[in-house]
Amino acid sequence: MIPLQFITAFLMVFMGIYAFLYKRNLIKLILALNLIDAGIHLLLISLGYRLENGILPTAPIYTGYETLKGTPMVGPIPQALVLTSIVIGVCVLSLAMALTINAYRHYGTLDVNKLRRLRG
Amino acid sequence: MTLPFLIIIPLFGAFSMPIVSLLGKKIKEYWAVIVSGATLAVSAKIFYTVWKTNEIILYTLGSDSPIGKGVKFPIRIVWEVDLFGALLALTIAFVGFLAVIYSLGYMKHDTGLEKYYTLILILELGMLGIVITGDIFNFYVFLEIMSIASYALVAFRNDTWEGIEAGIKYMFVGSLASSFILLGIALLYGQYGTLTMSYLAIKIAENPTLVAKIALAFFIGGLLFKSGAVPVHMWLADAHPAAPSSISAMLSGLVIKAGGVYAVARIVFGIFNPGLHAYLRAFNAPAVNMDVIGWVIVFFACLTLLVGNAMAVVQTDMKRLFAFSSVGQIGYILLGIGIGTLAYGTKAGELALAGAIYHIVNHALIKALLFLVAGAVIHQVGTKNLNELSGLAKKMPLTTFSFVIGAAAIIGLPPLNGFASKWIIYESSAMYNPVLAAIAVVGTVFSLAAYTRVLFTFLGRESDMIKEAKEPEKSMIIPMLILVAVIIVMGLLPWQISDKIMVPTARMLEQLNGEYIMALLKFIGGA
Amino acid sequence: MFGYWDALYFLYAFLIGLIISYLLMKWAEKVSMGTRRTGDGTKIYISGEDQDKVIPHFEHLSGYFTGRHVMWGLIRGVHRMFLVFRREHTGLLTDYVAYLLITIAIVLGALVIGG
Repeated sequence: MIPLQFITAFLMVFMGIYAFLYKRNLIKLILALNLIDAGIHLLLISLGYRLENGILPTAPIYTGYETLKGTPMVGPIPQALVLTSIVIGVCVLSLAMALTINAYRHYGTLDVNKLRRLRG
Repeated sequence: MTLPFLIIIPLFGAFSMPIVSLLGKKIKEYWAVIVSGATLAVSAKIFYTVWKTNEIILYTLGSDSPIGKGVKFPIRIVWEVDLFGALLALTIAFVGFLAVIYSLGYMKHDTGLEKYYTLILILELGMLGIVITGDIFNFYVFLEIMSIASYALVAFRNDTWEGIEAGIKYMFVGSLASSFILLGIALLYGQYGTLTMSYLAIKIAENPTLVAKIALAFFIGGLLFKSGAVPVHMWLADAHPAAPSSISAMLSGLVIKAGGVYAVARIVFGIFNPGLHAYLRAFNAPAVNMDVIGWVIVFFACLTLLVGNAMAVVQTDMKRLFAFSSVGQIGYILLGIGIGTLAYGTKAGELALAGAIYHIVNHALIKALLFLVAGAVIHQVGTKNLNELSGLAKKMPLTTFSFVIGAAAIIGLPPLNGFASKWIIYESSAMYNPVLAAIAVVGTVFSLAAYTRVLFTFLGRESDMIKEAKEPEKSMIIPMLILVAVIIVMGLLPWQISDKIMVPTARMLEQLNGEYIMALLKFIGGA
Repeated sequence: MFGYWDALYFLYAFLIGLIISYLLMKWAEKVSMGTRRTGDGTKIYISGEDQDKVIPHFEHLSGYFTGRHVMWGLIRGVHRMFLVFRREHTGLLTDYVAYLLITIAIVLGALVIGG
């Protein structure tokens, strides 16, 4: 059986792609971009999850705690990856917002289908 | 150990730029020149070292050995530089240095220059990171650094609608493509539990799964977008003309190579094809049917070189014409890589890869020159519409001379450097399949038609627009003349360069004995 | 090296070339049909599809096609190809996304089926 979080992750990616294809407002497209990113982050973070002997693992930053109690810890690498990827996502988000404001200034609309002076 | 300085110097230069710019108006420009010059020196040193010793440099971040404490597999971030990466690093640093010098004159009338120089150094840093990294998530981070810097630079002149519209289109679709690449990385990590490219190659060879194929499809799809292959070339034709010309030179000459074509070659040959080494061949390697990958790449390559060059013929905007020509030339490079994949292990395959690598370097130099010429024309005349530009040859002879050299080189006239690389690609594709060679020649015919149009425009009757035109200032002329000199010198010794540099590079990329993987495997002690 | 039966290769290549050139000629003939202005609003119906309007002294053009037709047909065909390429570059973000998804779908399909 596929775990629920994987299904949710791919559902989020597909929701984002749907919004990309059928929505026209630039703000909604930014949300779609973040939704896709969030879906991939969910996929990555759930890769680090594991259940060991029925005990829920702890976060990897509590290394002392783990050795004391003998509890397992979740995979640390996916968390580092997601942290990096979130930072990148914030960069993209802020740049997209700045460009959207400028587009509104030049075109007077947020409809992406009106932004089509470049063609041919 | 000089390798980390390749990243440290531009990173330090980029983020110290706002502070340095407080010291004075001129100082930030000199600081940018110094930083990019130092990067060029470091990359030249690294290229010379790798070329001389013919060995892969393996550098682990924060430790001596990539192996983690108490485990038997690599967990640290690894930088792995072979000759292909070193050659591209040298090209990137060289063209970036010339673009920075050119910006001194070209961007003189713009404001916000400290942001401009910060971004241009970050762009250079991202590309350098891509070509030296050996860790696939590190690769994604550098790809995003490069991409975000280029989105911002395309929209740098935010008082024009062109830059903003092109920037929005580039940014939204480009981020989607990056997300697909990240999805591929997540799938590979979930299946194999490692991010180091070489170790991933071993893991995939031991246990090929469907997940690896799906991940490869996401990589190739996303990276074809980043390299501007047809049918996902449209952002390129919008974004490259909209950027300032010095940035167009870097985008067209370097970004689509480092972030697109280089990465396709590295992922196909470095991760999914472990070479003919006995240990790795003992499993059912290669993990993915190389013929299918090869034909997919060749299919997109043929489409790219036909449509890209044909679209260049009907453009009236000079920079848009050059951008479409870039799409066409990417087609040749992809054709070389595709044939290298198909004819893996034979003479034709090695020759095709050498031709592709040679063309990457040549096209970076030529297209940078052409965009710098276009920038000089825009700076002096104020328009890039070809119908208004006739008769420039009398007013701007040096610029026209540079253009003639660049156009002749990109079409592939014999005494210049474009000839040798294109000839190698034709020859190897004819050795593999004559139909592909015929398609490549048809693409060149379109390219010839496009550039002849621009040439006749330059040589034609003088129009009213250019009555006042004169040569640009020295800081813009000198980079163009340096590029012309390099193109002519490289054109005079084509076969020597091909034999001394390009063929060894192709051998190292092809890694018949799995050298790229073995460089890491030494540490593990297995095999 | 060069055996007796290898000569068949040239025959094969020649036959394929013949077929391709025949198809090209047929296509050019079809594409070249149409009207061409000769001045003052008169039109010559070269292919003769409109019998009533054939201009005197140009009757010999109806129902025939010559090398010139093939040339014009090829030129018009190439021109039409350029028009199609230009029309495909719509400048819509949705189209760019759709092309990206199509590309990934092609690669994914090829790799899953054949890889």
